[in-house]
Amino acid sequence: MPPGEAEKDNRIEMRAENLHQGMRLGPVFYVVGAEQVGAFAEALRSSNPLYRGESAIAPPTMRLLDYALLIAHHFKGGKGGVHARHRCEFFEPMRAGQAVRIDGTVTSTERKRGKFYFTLEYETRDAADQRLLVRQAITSVLLSPEGSLT
Amino acid sequence: MSNEPAVGSEFSAAPYLLDDAAAQAYERGVKEPPRRWRTNIHTDRDAASKAGFTAPIAAGEHTIALAMQLIVDRFGERFMHGGGFEVALIKPVLFGDTLTVHARVARADERNLELDLRVENQKGEPVLTGTARVPKQ
Repeated sequence: MPPGEAEKDNRIEMRAENLHQGMRLGPVFYVVGAEQVGAFAEALRSSNPLYRGESAIAPPTMRLLDYALLIAHHFKGGKGGVHARHRCEFFEPMRAGQAVRIDGTVTSTERKRGKFYFTLEYETRDAADQRLLVRQAITSVLLSPEGSLT
Repeated sequence: MSNEPAVGSEFSAAPYLLDDAAAQAYERGVKEPPRRWRTNIHTDRDAASKAGFTAPIAAGEHTIALAMQLIVDRFGERFMHGGGFEVALIKPVLFGDTLTVHARVARADERNLELDLRVENQKGEPVLTGTARVPKQ
């Protein structure tokens, strides 16, 4: 991109009409930070030795929020949502310094009692050899463009 | 002889005050890689009010993290090798609430323990319910 030229934002608006079953999100890549592992353990007031030292592993729920990375990668705007349900399967822990890749799929959308629910399933894999680390699914109620639940 | 807890065994975590300081500490723990930042129901009274809440509410992920930490503290790394959970967030957590995580070994088969999970606020009201699966040793 030439210097000074604003990057074009090709993301679509985060609203119910733009969320469809089968929509694929990602990939997004990042490196699991050692400092983040420590900060997360501190937030939980955990002294568990698993989260310390050179071979520290990440607390299992540290990257629940990876769904937000996938959403922000594809969508702009919106008022967020309310977390309703979460499912998670662990295959292998993430480790500090590990490069990972996240991919997601919108597996259901449903309007129920005036609220718009969507489920996003997402997987985290080792970026180098594609080993599956975690598979998760979040079901959330999407807030309307005005910020209400209905 | 197995060291596994018997079906019916119960255990709990120490009460956790989820106040502004705890929420800020949690945000520091999840800030990298950066997500989109915006005014939301976790940070802004007006946004929370529009969504029907009396005040900003804690992130559901924070409550889930507390519940799973109890499992890690009890069973260790094996939870992350074939374990899992499924939970529902059934009541908003307000800043200042004190949460206590309870687990009960509900079932066991040859390979796994299945636990019932419950997180309660200081009034004894459940805010999260669900199950977790832990591979046996």
